[in-house]
Amino acid sequence: MPPQRDFAPSTAPLTRRSLLTGAAWAAGAVALGRGSFVVPPAWGQSNPIKVGIATDLTGPIGFAGKANANVASMVASDINAKGGVLGRSLQLFIEDTASNESVAVNNVRKLIQRDRVDVVFGGITSSMRNAIKDVIVTRGKTLYIYPQLYEGQECTPYIFCTGPTPAQQCDEFIPWLIKNGGKRFALPSANYVWPKLLNQYARKVIQANGGEVVFEEYYPLDQVEYSATVNKIMTNNVNVVFNTVIPPGVGPFIKQLYEAGFTKRGGRLSCVYYDENTLNINAAHEFEGLASCLDYFRAIKDPFSAKLQADYDKLYPGTVLFTAGSAATGMYRGLKLWESAVNKAKKVDRDTVAAAFDRARIEEGPGGAAEMVPGKRHCKMNMYIAVAKNGNYEVVSQSKGLVDPKEC
Amino acid sequence: MTRNQDRVIAVENIVSVGFDLASFSAIMVLMVTGLGVIASMMGVFNFAHGEFLLLGAYTVYLTHSHGYPVWAGMVVAPFAVALVGLALERGVIRFFYAEPVVAMLGTYAIGLVIRESVRGLIGGLYHSVPDPLIGSFSLGAVQLSRWRCVIILVTAIVIAVFWFVLTRTGLGLTIRASLENPALARASGISTNRVYALTFAVGAGLAGLAGGLMVPIFSMFADLGVRFLIQGFLAVLLGGVGSFEGPALGAAVIGVLSAGLPWVLSPVLADVLVFVIAIVIVKFRPAGLLSTQRS
Repeated sequence: MPPQRDFAPSTAPLTRRSLLTGAAWAAGAVALGRGSFVVPPAWGQSNPIKVGIATDLTGPIGFAGKANANVASMVASDINAKGGVLGRSLQLFIEDTASNESVAVNNVRKLIQRDRVDVVFGGITSSMRNAIKDVIVTRGKTLYIYPQLYEGQECTPYIFCTGPTPAQQCDEFIPWLIKNGGKRFALPSANYVWPKLLNQYARKVIQANGGEVVFEEYYPLDQVEYSATVNKIMTNNVNVVFNTVIPPGVGPFIKQLYEAGFTKRGGRLSCVYYDENTLNINAAHEFEGLASCLDYFRAIKDPFSAKLQADYDKLYPGTVLFTAGSAATGMYRGLKLWESAVNKAKKVDRDTVAAAFDRARIEEGPGGAAEMVPGKRHCKMNMYIAVAKNGNYEVVSQSKGLVDPKEC
Repeated sequence: MTRNQDRVIAVENIVSVGFDLASFSAIMVLMVTGLGVIASMMGVFNFAHGEFLLLGAYTVYLTHSHGYPVWAGMVVAPFAVALVGLALERGVIRFFYAEPVVAMLGTYAIGLVIRESVRGLIGGLYHSVPDPLIGSFSLGAVQLSRWRCVIILVTAIVIAVFWFVLTRTGLGLTIRASLENPALARASGISTNRVYALTFAVGAGLAGLAGGLMVPIFSMFADLGVRFLIQGFLAVLLGGVGSFEGPALGAAVIGVLSAGLPWVLSPVLADVLVFVIAIVIVKFRPAGLLSTQRS
């Protein structure tokens, strides 16, 4: 059993006590930072393999970071219960990157210099990956596994990416959108690197499939008023909105789009980071028909994924969900690929493990098998297209076999 | 397409732009009025105002998630937040009146505690809260959101009531007296302390109302108040401290600019330009848009 260090707020009805503990906890977290914690190896084990997890436990994307830490604890204790890796158990060192790059660099340095971990998993945003990768890979001479779906183009040696790339999210999805929406695309986007590079790729796929981009526009990250955009979508007869506006803007944007009658006239809304965490941003009728493309949805029915989901929910009930958009699936995949690589390498030093990781494959994972593309340090995986129906996803299409990440 | 049809489309566009500008400005006005009243009266820039907004939104979210109707939450929100404001004023903020800079830091800290507490309570996620009036109605070919209409209406009523109370009642006279010349007001037997507490509570209550009304549009999340706070300060600077109308007018201007500029410019540029324009206006009218050279 993993130690009960679950910080997820409970879903129990609000009592005075829970309010007070919640408030006290939050005030403490603000004052001190939630800091790091260590999940110890099994009793009597000396010389464990040290695994560093650097993720955003606090800050605006804390919900995603907590899910990553949960998955890591779950996988590590499962591996330990089965005898560890190479007969050694895993010891997790979990550090908070706090959605803040300068805090993160300091905390990651602790993992590398003080704890001397053998491998680091983590980072969710691209800016976070870019901030900590040098500390881990170049100066730290340590292996780094990045779990989140992202814009691609991370080709630094010793960094392995286990989340979906633009090719994986677009190659099958955009033809589906053209077939189930139309040819005229709008690309409303938040103004940062992920939407820009994703749109670059998406535009190519749209044009190659006979579609056209009516407009591609970028908004400040905290913009919450989208009447001008919605008007442009409505007056230009856009068929498909390929959205990369992020929270907090995405809620009001989808609402305004709904109120203007976009879906009523047959428009198709799509958003490739939409997972189970984003289902509550809008009322169900406002995003009915929204299509997303990810490596995993709760609605997938294969037995292994279902069991994994059930195990997670049992260990971590509450609001911190196991989803694809928050990198939780990439974290699982990364840990298991790394485990199989270490088992094959028979050693934990960086070069041997990296060489084995390059050809690692797992037969089971969230959404199915996964396999590294040799020399590319990216991961082939199954991709699924899901459509929102009554506030939940329905999987409408599944890739035929593992999809190539087409990176590096 | 005939010329007549062209004209119809142009009119439809104007109606739809006008409505969007009006609804966003209304939200800004509701938010800023409370901020402006507090700044004018006590000389304290309340950095926790965005979080009062958040508390209003949270009240509505709580009532909704416990199965009560959303509108009930909206009725409760201003009073609940006013009470919180009152407690904070009596417990903390009144000690800061002599030192405006410390007051800013103090209110900032209060805001931070509220924001992070709410983040912990809602799990750091986004939650939708339904409109009490769902959907939109059509005016010609233009779709107007029902709930945004209600917000415009409520804002108009609030402004009218405030104007009436301030200019036509004895209470208004007392408030204006404490505002314009606190020393003389005290000498005339007005308890400025009590007036301050009342004003702070009312300002907080207004933020609570604004938060409650806007949460169906923007959804419930911990950073709801942050963006509005920055724009709110800009509005107060623009409108000028020291009157009730000034900040409200400033808010309307900021609302129109920030919702209107993206229609004609790249949105990222528009975002910056709102601030540039506001700063230029403040440069030429440092005492605010409505400055009457009150001495």
